[in-house]
Formats: sequence, C-alpha cells, structure tokens
Amino acid sequence: MKDDFDDPLTSADLGFEPAVPVTGADPQAKRNSRRRGGLRRKLTAGAILTGALVGMGGAYTLFAGTSGAADSTSSASDIAAGRQLYEVSCITCHGANLQGVKNRGVSLLGVGGAAVYFQVSTGRMPATGQGSEQYRKTAKFTDQQIRQLAAFVQSKGGGVNIPAGTVRGTDADIAEGGNLFRLNCASCHGTTFKGAPLTAGKSAPSLNASTDLQIYTAMLTGPESMPIFSDNEITPDEKRAIVAYIQTIKASDDPGGSGIDRIGPVSEAIVIWVAGIGAIMIAILWIGAKTQ
Amino acid sequence: MTSGTPRRSDQPRTPQGKVGKFFDERLTLAGPMRKQLNKVFPDHWSFMMGEIALYSFIILLLTGTYLTFFFDPSMAEVVYHGRYVPMRGITMSKAYASTLDISFDVRGGLIVRQIHHWAALMFLAAMLIHMFRVFFTGAFRKPRELNWLIGLGLIALGIIEGFAGYSLPDDLLSGTGLRIADAIMLSIPIIGTWVAFLIFGGPFPGDVIIGRFYIAHVLLIPAILAALIGAHLALVVRQKHTQFPQAGHTEHQVSGERVYPLYAAKAGGFFFIVFGVLAALGGLAQINPVWLYGPYNPAQVSSGSQPDWYMMFLDGSTRLMPSWEIRLWGYDLPPLFWPTVVLPGIMFTLAGIYPFLEAKMTRDTKPHNLLQRPRDVPVRTSLGAMAITFYMVLFLSGGNDLIAHAFDISLNAMTWGGRIALITLPPLAYLLTYRVCLGLQRHDREVLEHGLETGIIKLLPHGEFIEVHQPLGPTDEHGHGQLSYAGTPVPKRMSQLGAASPLKHIRGFFYPVKEKPEIQAQLDELEAAEVQERDTQHVLEGSAAGSTHTGED
Amino acid sequence: MSNEFEVPSEEELREMTPEQLMIVGAEADGVHIMHRRDRFPLRGTKAEKRAERGVAAAFTLAALAGVGFIVAFCAMPWHWHLPGTPQNFRFFNIALGVLLALMLLGMGVGLVLWAKWLMPEEEVIQDRHDDPSSEEDKIMTEGTLITGLADTGLPRRSLILRSLGLAGGAIATVPLVALVGGMIKKPGNDLVETLFKPNKKLFPESGGRVPIVYDDWRRVSPDDLEPGGIATVFPGVHAEIDGVNGVTSASSPTLLIRLRPGQTVEARKGQASFGWPAHKPEYVAFSKICTHAGCPASLYEQQTTRLLCPCHQSQFEVLKDAKPVFGPATRSLPKLPLDVVTAADGAQYFVARSDYVEPIGPGFWNRK
Repeated sequence: MKDDFDDPLTSADLGFEPAVPVTGADPQAKRNSRRRGGLRRKLTAGAILTGALVGMGGAYTLFAGTSGAADSTSSASDIAAGRQLYEVSCITCHGANLQGVKNRGVSLLGVGGAAVYFQVSTGRMPATGQGSEQYRKTAKFTDQQIRQLAAFVQSKGGGVNIPAGTVRGTDADIAEGGNLFRLNCASCHGTTFKGAPLTAGKSAPSLNASTDLQIYTAMLTGPESMPIFSDNEITPDEKRAIVAYIQTIKASDDPGGSGIDRIGPVSEAIVIWVAGIGAIMIAILWIGAKTQ
Repeated sequence: MTSGTPRRSDQPRTPQGKVGKFFDERLTLAGPMRKQLNKVFPDHWSFMMGEIALYSFIILLLTGTYLTFFFDPSMAEVVYHGRYVPMRGITMSKAYASTLDISFDVRGGLIVRQIHHWAALMFLAAMLIHMFRVFFTGAFRKPRELNWLIGLGLIALGIIEGFAGYSLPDDLLSGTGLRIADAIMLSIPIIGTWVAFLIFGGPFPGDVIIGRFYIAHVLLIPAILAALIGAHLALVVRQKHTQFPQAGHTEHQVSGERVYPLYAAKAGGFFFIVFGVLAALGGLAQINPVWLYGPYNPAQVSSGSQPDWYMMFLDGSTRLMPSWEIRLWGYDLPPLFWPTVVLPGIMFTLAGIYPFLEAKMTRDTKPHNLLQRPRDVPVRTSLGAMAITFYMVLFLSGGNDLIAHAFDISLNAMTWGGRIALITLPPLAYLLTYRVCLGLQRHDREVLEHGLETGIIKLLPHGEFIEVHQPLGPTDEHGHGQLSYAGTPVPKRMSQLGAASPLKHIRGFFYPVKEKPEIQAQLDELEAAEVQERDTQHVLEGSAAGSTHTGED
Repeated sequence: MSNEFEVPSEEELREMTPEQLMIVGAEADGVHIMHRRDRFPLRGTKAEKRAERGVAAAFTLAALAGVGFIVAFCAMPWHWHLPGTPQNFRFFNIALGVLLALMLLGMGVGLVLWAKWLMPEEEVIQDRHDDPSSEEDKIMTEGTLITGLADTGLPRRSLILRSLGLAGGAIATVPLVALVGGMIKKPGNDLVETLFKPNKKLFPESGGRVPIVYDDWRRVSPDDLEPGGIATVFPGVHAEIDGVNGVTSASSPTLLIRLRPGQTVEARKGQASFGWPAHKPEYVAFSKICTHAGCPASLYEQQTTRLLCPCHQSQFEVLKDAKPVFGPATRSLPKLPLDVVTAADGAQYFVARSDYVEPIGPGFWNRK
C-alpha cells in the first residue's frame, strides 16, 4: 500500500508558475524532524515517504502544496477523453483554453486534477448557477469520466493532482487522525461532521456523504471558503489518518441508542421537551383523570 | 395501632399490632402518624409537575452515586488505552478517560450515565413547567411567596448544578463552555479577574477546576438542593395545597384524596413512571457522547457548540448582544458582562419580586388558597406570556447556528432576526394573550347567559331558523341564565353536562364486560339507587350555587 | 370544624368497625370524607376480576422485564468494536434501557391502576389551619420575646452587645478568610503574557525569540502553507511553566494565515510590520482565542478572509487586521509579530519577534 506512494510527477508542471514564489527550503529536513508526542508514529511509513520524496525533481520542491502522491495512470487517451467531456460540459464557463470567462467561471489553468476531482465528484461542478457557493449534488459524471476530466485539466498547467493509491489510513492511525481533525477541521465541520454556517450565508458542508478521496482532495485544494492544508503542514500520512478517523466514526454505530443525529445538546433539548416531558404529561393527565 | 389493632382489647395480639405497640410506646406515633396518613392531596393533574422534579432529583442522587464509583475527577494527564479504539494513545485528563471507561469499559455504565444526564435535563424542565403552573394560576400569592422564592432558588441552583455536572467529563464541548464561564467571571467589574483566578486556581484552565466542580456537584450543591427541597415540601405540608375553584371548594379547606392509601399508590406509581421514562430515554437516545467530542484542548473547538438546554438562553443572549464595550476611567467593561451576569440577574430578580409587586399593584393583602384561571387575570397571564416569549427568543438564539445551517439561512440574518424578535415579540405576545384572555372570558359569560349550543337547529313557525341553547341553570323571563361567573370552568359542550356520557358506562378495554344476568340485575339496582341519590344531591347543591365562593372576593 | 368535633369515648370506639374508626379518626384530624364509594360494591363480578388481572399483569410485566434485564445484562455482547466487525454492541444499551423502562413502568402503571381501578374512590376535604395567629398568642409571644431580651440585658448593656457583635463578626469572617484566602490567586501577569514572550536562555539561536511550532513541535517554515492555507501554531516552549508548555497553554494557540495573492492587510497603527515579510505581509498570525469569550475563533474563509468564532458568532475581517465586523466581539484579535530565522542547518522557521502587544482573550476590568 505504501508502495503506491510514489510521485513521478512529470515535467508537465514546469509550465506552471506558483502563484506566490516561495523560498526553497528543503522539505526533507522538516519531515525528518517530525515528531508527534504521545502518538504512535508509523516509522516505516515515514521512511518510505522520505525515500519517495528524495526521488522528486527540483520542480516539485517549488511546489509547496503539491500532494505527495499523484496519479500516474493518466494516459494520452484519458486526456483526450477528458478534453471531449470538457468541451461539452465546462467550456461555456471556463473557456476554450481553460482561461476562464469573465463573470462566469474562473481560470482552470494550474488548478490541478485534485481540485477537478473534488468539484466534479461532489456534483458542485458543473454548477447549476452563478454563486460564490456551490452545494453538493449528485455527480454528473462517472468516476472514470471525472478522472479523465482531471487528467485533461492537469495537462493544462499542472497543479495538485489526484493522489494515487489508498487515501485512508489504517485502524492504528484513527486516534491520531481524530486529534488532527479536532485541531484543524472540527472548528468548521464540527466534531460530528455536521458542518456549520459560516459568515453571511456561506457554510461549511456536512461530511456525511464525503468519500475518502473527496475529503483528501478537499484538504489538498481548499475548495471555496475552505483553507488549503498543504502536505508540508499536514503530511499525506496525517491526511490519510484524518480520512480514516472521519470514515470510521461515520461508519461506527452509536453505543448509546439512537444517536439523535449526533447534533448534541440542541437535539437533546428537543428530545427532553418533546419525548420526555411529553410522555410524562400524558402520564400525568392519565393519573389525574377521574375513573368512572 | 391503626388497622391491625383488634377491637375490644388494649392488648395487641397480631404481630403487626405488636410492632405498632413497640414503636408507639417509644415514639408516641398514633396521633401524628394518623394525621399524616389522612393528609389530603388535590387530584388535579397540574399538581403533579413539581413531583416530576422531585423524582428526577431522587433519580439523580441514585444514578449519580453509582457514577462516583467509577469517575475520577482529576485533571492529571494519562494516555488512554481503553476499549474505544479511536481514542487509544491520546493524551487526556483522568476525568475524561474515566468517563470513557464508564461508557465503554463498565458493563451497563453507559446507560446509568445516560439516565443521569437525561434526568438532569428533566429535573430542570420539570421545575420550569411547575413554575409556569404556579405563576399562571396565581399559586405564588400570599401566603406562598416564600415558597415561590425557594423555588426560584432551586431553579438557579439547579442550573449551576447542571452546568457543573456537564463540565466534569472534561470533553471538548464542556471545556469550551468552561472557558466561556471563565470569560464571564473575568468580565465582572473590579473583582472579575480575582474571582476567575480564585475559582480556577490560576489562569484558565489550571488543574483544579474539575476537582472543585466535582465536590460542588456531588456534595455542596446537592446538599443545599436537598435542604431547599425539604423546606419547599415542608411549606407545602404546612400551608397545604392550593386548589382550583369549583363547587364545594373554599378558601378554608383543601379537597382531594388522602395519602393513605390512594395518593401514596398514585404518587409511588408516578415515581416509577418518571424513572421508567428516563430509563427509556437512557436506553434509546444517546446523550452527551463525549467520545465523539474528544478531550478538552484549548486550541480546539467544534462548530455548533451548545450548552445543555437550561443554559442555552444565556448562550442566546450572548450571541444577540451588540458589540458594546464600555471604557470607564481607563477600565474595561466587556460586552460579555451584560448578557451573562446582568441579564440573568434581572430575570431572577423580577421573578423574585413579582409576587410582592403584584400584591402592591393590586392592593391585595389577603391570603389566597383558591387558584385563578389564567384568563381571569389577563394582565398577569400576558406578562407571563411576554416573559416566556422573551425566554424563547433567547433560547432559540442559543441554537441559531444550527437553525441557520438546517434551513440555509444566513447566520447574520439569524442574529439580526433574534435581536429584533427580542424587542418586538414580547410586547406582541402581551397584546395577543390579553386579547385571548378577554375573548375567553366573554365566551364564558355568553354561555352562562345564553346557555350551551346544542347543535340542534329549530325551524320556527314563521320560517326563522334558530339554534337551541341549553341553559346551564335557572333562567329569567327572557331566557337569560341567572348564574354568575365563579372562577370555575364553564361547560362548553353538551357532553360536559353529562348529556353524552351516561352514568351507566361500559367497563372493559377491548370488549365490554358481560356480567351474569342475575349479577347484572343487582348492579343495575345499585346504580339506580346511586343515580337517585346523586340527583337529590344536585338539587340541593343547585340551590346553593352562586354562594359557594364567598371566601373569594 | 375539627375543634368542635368530639372524639367518642374509648368504649364507643371499641365497638366500631375499622372503617368507622377511620372516619372518626379523620374527623378528629379535621379531614372530612365527603364521598367514598367502593368501585365494586358487588364482590367477585367479572369486571372486578378483570381489573384485578389488569393490575397483576402490570406487576408481572415488571417482574418479567426485570428478569429480562438481568439476562440481557449478563449475556448480551457489549464491547465496542471498530466498524467492519459486527456492531452488535449497539443493542446492549437499547435492550437494557427498554427492559429497565418496562420494569419500572410496569411497577408504576400497576400501582396507579391499582389505585384507580380497585381502591375505593373518595372525595375528601381537609380543613386548613392557616388562620392568622390569635391576638392572644401574638401578645403573649411578644411579651415572652421582650422579657427574654430584657433578661439578657442586651438593650442596656451596650458593651456586651458591641463586643458580642465583634465576636460574631469574627466567627463569621474567619472561615471565610481561611477558605477564600487559601483559594485566592493574584492574577499577576498571567492575563497579559503568553509563552511567546522572548526567552534568551531557551532560544539563543534566534536571539531569544520564540520559535513557532505545530502541535507536534515541528517548527513552522515559511513554505509550509499554501496561499489560502491556515495552521494552528504554538510557542515552541517545551519546558513546563506553571504546569503548561507552549502547546498545552490555553493562552498561546495562534492562527497562522497565509494570504492569497492580492489580499493585503490594512494593518493597525504600529503593527504594519507584524506580518511576514514585513514590507508586504503574506503571512499574518492572530491569537486564536476570541476576544469575546475565549473560544478558539478559527472558522477562516480563505477567499473572503472572514474569521468566525463558533461560540457566539463574532466575525473578524482578517484584511482589516482581524477587526470585529459582526457579532458581540468588540476588539480585534491580537496580532503576533512574525519573523523568520534561518537555522544552522539552513532551515528557515518562524519566530515571534515579541509577545503579543496586547492581552489575548476576553476582556477584563483592568485590561489596558
């Protein structure tokens, strides 16, 4: 599994200039100094990761936000198929050369395959209308088509690509993932993944329907209001741990009866006033009623 | 001593009699005990709401004692190695770890924890509805103002007790609440920082607060609560219950059922019913799943963080508060101070002085044992509706982020909506309630004057259709009823006059019971005699109608 | 009324039936049984038997549910397991709750049914004895109180009165002082200082300036974050000071934001150089502790640069140096002055040039 963790990101990205120039520090130094107090670290995974990173080209180091894992399977035919899909469904808003259309859609040059995967697989794209915020819908394309679209966009200016291989950590990572989730994600998505309103009508979506790869690509690309969590800040291993935590908790049953939607004190308030007080009021009326 | 003592002898022969004699010779019980057994309780349903709170409190003591066997109120850090895999290896306080252990490593511990928490929510909810009943029926009036004050003290202490308990697991949700509590203390003018440092033993969070809250939660506050509940009940026994006005009910008596055996059986049964409902909630509905929230960490927070329902009105008032900060001579009065310290202070003070204020405004110095129907006191009822509306706006604003999320409304709009509603809705509620009270009063008078609508339409000889009205009592030459309103419910349907419910009812739940013919004949005879007796009684009572409530002014 | 009631003689009482005795006893207590009716005046009717069976059924249900509870408690699987393995533990709590509820409700309903179906119905009136105290009583009690007070001589012996007052005051105050005195903590500098305060001993390499770290003590490098990225960062102080270190201290969580291209901060006076690079800040760091009630304000919208606090929904505009623009907060989030230091091995990392220049977190009285 960890062997998938390879990044043969090719010179395709050389055409893309990062939006903000960054100083070229060696990422290896930082990675080697990583420790996570009190948590079990997967040293072997770290070693493999380091090895994989050593093999990267210099262009990659310019790319602070590039995923440590990238899809290596995109072939010329995929790109061609992606182009066809693009020309049918995306071209009106994003332009023939992905340069964007004013007041319609942003430029897709350099956004990368991961962003395409997130936006299209969650049904946010193609958008139904203009608006700063798009909501989750049923995806319009199959997974294969989405990957073809992503390959096509990736071929135009590079960017962060869809990570290859598994994006979910193992059971041993769950606890660490939980801690990272609470530190970085829970402030918006909530400890039970319900999402939350943001300012002035915007909102952080629920993660209930999110797949592993959608969560992973969202962290990588920071769609809409969401901040970007680069691989230097939250390593791919840590991202996989976060995915493992979210998906495990979502799949786990509630040990204490109905989870009442895991909303917390508000749903508990409704239950105590409606079911609790309601049931007892019925009992009171029955006890107080005159028997014939 | 009582029933077990055989007659015609002063020497008990039965074992019960001997036990009775043993205790009576030592405690002189015969007289006082009979008096207590004969105490009369009203049997109206609305008198049982306080009991829900009392029973919830007992259930809280029972389940809470169990929880102390396993809970460790320590903020010392441990690494979790329990059964809940998603927390294994996480550093957390012993308080949080032992809460996880109660939930996952103690067989049956989770249900007790859940019943305890549901009982806490029920305790406060029951106190609130009990307070509403007392308020809207005027039961707080002289001589019961002291008990009203004790009740308010119970609610205030109950809120503090609940908050302390909610904080104990040291999870991310309650820790966030604790941090806000620290900020509230800091916001108090002049002494704020000293108060916060005194309670937390230093800067937030320190390492003593869970231990201090624990001893307050399991010993100090429950002891005061128990003492106040004792005083509350002692006053009820001393002053006896109020009762609704009704034929035969006067200011100088209380009617209902005696403790032994009827009321004891019903109240005992009701205790088990309350416990049963809480057990069902504890089994079926998960409450405060701290394992989903994680251990407290001051750098972490979850969106949608709310306190338990009884604190939500304070959260709401804090959210609605505009960003007003006052600088006084170089000192700071933070915006948090007003909605969390001043506002509840005002709310409890107003509630506390209300009985005295009402007596002063209405120049009413008489003691009252008969209740009032809310419609008959429109000003008080409307004030109550206004207060409840105010509270509801605050309460809903405490969850306004969830409402915004669920209905896709802008958070900013929810905040503004709450601010506007807080100012506009209470007066509207006052006006509306006032109108409704007057309308209900008018309808009562109308029925008394014109009688009940029977639903029977009559065609008069000259072609006019009229509905036949059934007068409730004697009428004058114009057919107008002569009964005056006496503060009691006025029958509004024919069935309430007994027109549709024959005395000879059918027993049986799924199918009627058929007695043997000879037994049925005997039963019919008995019932006929009873009906006759009742009718005679009605005639007697009818002549006395109108003069029943001379005790009331 | 009860005062007028004359209790029959012992001889008469001994002749009475228990029910008569009950009625007489109640009358003696001022309790008048106005109406009392056996619900089944004829014994052994079908209806009575059915009522009896109904009550017994409720009690039997309670007993059976109790047995069921014990069986479920002992036999049902209850250990939590990861998803993927059978999740049968979830039935345990439900079964316990339902069986416990059935047991308790069976008992409760049985008792109430017993009272409602089988016990004689009654309507009873009890006299209140809440007449005001009689004038005689009031006068005599007043006299007793006055005489007692006179006996103590307090009204004239003002020396005793005053010294007693002092003694009483002392006895009331001493426990309070002892208790509160033991608990009192001088606020000191805890509210105005954080662990970002420079420390030359601990961090000689950076000239005492505290390195900024993630919660796993990794140092934060300027190329860690993407534009539009955020991170919760802490002062890299490993040493425990008053029981907390840089990562566990409640006052130190800080939100490091890397702005997107084109986003520029209008800095507050004197804080223009707090970001990094100082001339054209791309990185800014604000205290994560909300200035309203102390929750971590961390719902950052990277495109609209709004920062929301989830507790009371204060909103801060990062481009206006985290000035509050909506909700109850009145103060901007304190800004951490940033700098970047190159380590001996060439790695660059963020440091705090100084501590926050204003107190972090919620307001308090003597906040400057």
